[in-house]
Amino acid sequence: MTVGTQSKPTLANRLTSSLSLIALVALLLVMLFPLALVTINSFKTENEYYDGGPFALPQSWNTDVLRTTWESTDYTTKLLNSLNISLSVAVLAIVLSLFNAFALGIGKVRGKPLILLFFLLAITLPPESLVYPQYYFVKAIGLYDTQLAVILITAVFHSAYGTYLMSTVLSAFNRELIEAAMIDGCNKLQLLFRIIVPLNRPALSVLFVFFFIWTWNDFFLPLIFLISNSRQTVPVAMALARGERNMVVTTQSAAALLGIIPCIIFFFLFQRTMARGITAGSLK
Amino acid sequence: MTQKSYSPYKGYTLFLLPGVLLFAVFIVLPFLTNVAVSFTKWTGIGTPTLLGLDNYFKAFGDATFWASFRNNLYLIIGMTTIPTIIGLLLATVLFDYISKRFGHGVASFFRAGFYLPQIIPVVVAAIVWKWIYQPEWGALNQVLTTLGLEPQNWLGRPTTALPSVLGMLIWFQIGYPLVIFMAGLQRIDPELYEAAAIDGATWFRRFRHITIPLLRPEIYIVILTTIIFALKTFAPVYSMTLGGPGSATMVASYFSYKQFFETSNVGYGSTVATILTVIIMIVTIIYVRVQTGQERRETL
Amino acid sequence: MLKRTAILLLLLLLVFVFGTVSAQDQTTLRIWHYEAADSAMGVSWDLAMQRFEELHPEVTIEFELKTFDQIQQTAQMILNSGDAPDVMEINKGNATAGLYAKQGLLTDLTEVAAERGWDQLLSPSILTTSRYDENGIMGSGPIYGVTTYGEFVMVYYNKDMFAEHGVEVPTSLEEFEAVADTFVAAGITPIAIGALDKWPLTQNFYELALYQADRDFVNAYELFQGDFDFHSEPFTFAAETLVSHFEKGYYNPDAAGIDYDDANASFVQGLAPMNLTGSWMFGTFLSSITDFEWGLFVMPGKTLNTGSGGNLWVVPAGAQNKDLAYEFIDLTLQPEAQTAMANAGGIPVAADLSQVEDAHVLELNEAFSTIVANDGLAFYPDWPAPGYMDTLGSGLQELVGGTMSPSDFLDFIAAPWQDYKSSLS
Repeated sequence: MTVGTQSKPTLANRLTSSLSLIALVALLLVMLFPLALVTINSFKTENEYYDGGPFALPQSWNTDVLRTTWESTDYTTKLLNSLNISLSVAVLAIVLSLFNAFALGIGKVRGKPLILLFFLLAITLPPESLVYPQYYFVKAIGLYDTQLAVILITAVFHSAYGTYLMSTVLSAFNRELIEAAMIDGCNKLQLLFRIIVPLNRPALSVLFVFFFIWTWNDFFLPLIFLISNSRQTVPVAMALARGERNMVVTTQSAAALLGIIPCIIFFFLFQRTMARGITAGSLK
Repeated sequence: MTQKSYSPYKGYTLFLLPGVLLFAVFIVLPFLTNVAVSFTKWTGIGTPTLLGLDNYFKAFGDATFWASFRNNLYLIIGMTTIPTIIGLLLATVLFDYISKRFGHGVASFFRAGFYLPQIIPVVVAAIVWKWIYQPEWGALNQVLTTLGLEPQNWLGRPTTALPSVLGMLIWFQIGYPLVIFMAGLQRIDPELYEAAAIDGATWFRRFRHITIPLLRPEIYIVILTTIIFALKTFAPVYSMTLGGPGSATMVASYFSYKQFFETSNVGYGSTVATILTVIIMIVTIIYVRVQTGQERRETL
Repeated sequence: MLKRTAILLLLLLLVFVFGTVSAQDQTTLRIWHYEAADSAMGVSWDLAMQRFEELHPEVTIEFELKTFDQIQQTAQMILNSGDAPDVMEINKGNATAGLYAKQGLLTDLTEVAAERGWDQLLSPSILTTSRYDENGIMGSGPIYGVTTYGEFVMVYYNKDMFAEHGVEVPTSLEEFEAVADTFVAAGITPIAIGALDKWPLTQNFYELALYQADRDFVNAYELFQGDFDFHSEPFTFAAETLVSHFEKGYYNPDAAGIDYDDANASFVQGLAPMNLTGSWMFGTFLSSITDFEWGLFVMPGKTLNTGSGGNLWVVPAGAQNKDLAYEFIDLTLQPEAQTAMANAGGIPVAADLSQVEDAHVLELNEAFSTIVANDGLAFYPDWPAPGYMDTLGSGLQELVGGTMSPSDFLDFIAAPWQDYKSSLS
């Protein structure tokens, strides 16, 4: 394989490129197979499922199940709730992570390993162990059954991961650049927002995507802290499609599909910013 | 080195304040409460009864609890090695080769596709994987029979249950290191590669001597966080096997969850959770020590 | 970035505004339950809500449909907060209703039940799951919840397949086994089962145990009255018989890898001649089975049967509108709502069966009435201790998988039960 420079389109090169493309597509199909299954089962009627099983293609692309699921779960409200919570968490968590990582990764703070561990504590804790204390605290400050409670707790939780990732990345950041900027009279805030942030866009974008998706798919905290249906999120709404011991597979698939699509849209929109990385030239 | 009248690296503590404060309130205090509760018998409501160390004695003698750690260890090994290696190779191929040969769009498309499993809620993925693993008509057995191999009772036999769960987790996990590594690769100055190529280095030498060392931060992150995720595996077990058959797929996190929400044994659950946390913390401490030691050496 | 922040701040503001605007100038009755809207209970209770609104035009009903998981995991926390509704459905049994009653989270309904005649309407065996003592054990004590329906376990069977193979509905366990043997000989797995979900097997197990059990057994096992030995005849018989049934090929050997929904699907598709499961699947079978004739019978030759009163209406201790709540509960027990439930495929506790048209529904309700008339409700095997379902399910998976002997299995399931019993003061 060659990098960057002009390579002649020899037979060997063409063969390698075709083979690698085929291999990648094959792997991709395997990876996406489950998603395909969810999709085709969302368009079947219940009897079609009983007749053909989950792997058969739907005879007609029936949208009834999707439509009834949308209405019965009050999907629009849930969608807005999830959007609100996921975006808020992503933004808040990134800000917290950035500030923390700025101090730990760039600055020489005393006791850095300990502070880093302090933050990593959050990821190591099983969430259910925190739930009862958090419940009592949230109730005491009057935030029970509010989205703010979920946003705060989730954002703080994710900021642990974000702090760890960003401080690791920033520790490897080019020191000469920082010193040069400081000599030019840059203060810390300017350093952070004019140099660090732009040059670390890929890592920050990755964090934004992770946080959004992790929050979107979180089932546990919304279940515990949001009890009114009007405030609930999409994953919990999806569970509405299933009773205690009865499950209609087609409804479940339809609910799943409705839950996944916003995330997929978000990811496709956002990954372009991830790809728009910096070129080496700006380092100079 | 020029003499500076001030160090550019002092005075950053202020930036830590909001994060630490919120953290203390929402994470640390609840955790300390959790530790306190671990010495009691409590259902979650009403007053706890003080028990002393009884819960801890019970936990240390609990065979199911420690057996679950064995399963976690198996998952850790599987989940940190295989997806990380696959992710690293895929990232390099996509970033270096595909991106240059077919354009950034194609590379991004593949990355998005490989990451998609991470977007699907685990509960949903579990349902689909149950279809794949179904012994009578599941996709996997259908493929095996077409190839003339023996179909298996994947989730139903103790010997195949945990590997099956691992299989699903690997599928789920591949996108994560891929995305992180691809972001990391963008940090590396392409001129390093060009210089090496001019000097006649093969792809593998460039991979080994440039890519891997410069991606070290990302590799550290991926390995540590994957170990932690593996130790906290919960949703696939909850959705697919409920820890069965028997306790063949019981994992520590699910065991802990059951104490809180199925047996209403919040006191004992807190004990189990505390022990689990301590173990994960020890692993993390050793790991981070090594990592920051490395970093300190590199920035000098 | 700035624009996005502005948008989400606006969204946040909107959510706040809508969230806090909950003007309470009219009296609202807040009701929660988790039965699907098209289920028998859902239909019946919906009717009751409509009737309520007609009778009380000054009250608005605020109804929220929840999920089973939601209530199971958060009921305690909700009941302990100021946000609990006026009336809600909860699961019956020591681990849920008993626990909440013990903690003072539920209103004592004994007086209301007497005033309104609920305690006469519901038979004593149904009321067992309404009463909880100071330890949270069911069977005695004040009434904390009221049920409107019943449930039980039976064998659904494929009439066409039975006719094809010349077998009749069995009248004893021996005949049942003979029927199964006939199917095995014809190369068909007789009984559908999904052991991946752990809990289905517990019902097959318990049904077998009930062949050797009496009311004292049930009281000792479920209500902790008197001594109980796991190695006594009922459970030993059940364990050994279940193993032999698996060995004779009555169940799919891969059962532990098949889940409950697939097992039911195989019955609906006409692949499995028999399916031992509960009345909760009746509605699904009624609407989904179109290709063959089907019926049901209880495991023959015994009086006791797995089953109980259904989930309970409870009034949280902190409810705002208790009188209205009692009104509503009363309406769900009225003939109108009860008959609607029957016609939708449910088992109401007090319906006039002469109003029921569908033959299947009649069959279902008659079977249940017979059990109740013979004082046959034996409850469910996982009820004694919280989280016991998992122990039973895991143990059974190992038992039928051959990794645990019947004797070891009985010791395995005995331990948590005995732990829980000794923890009750």
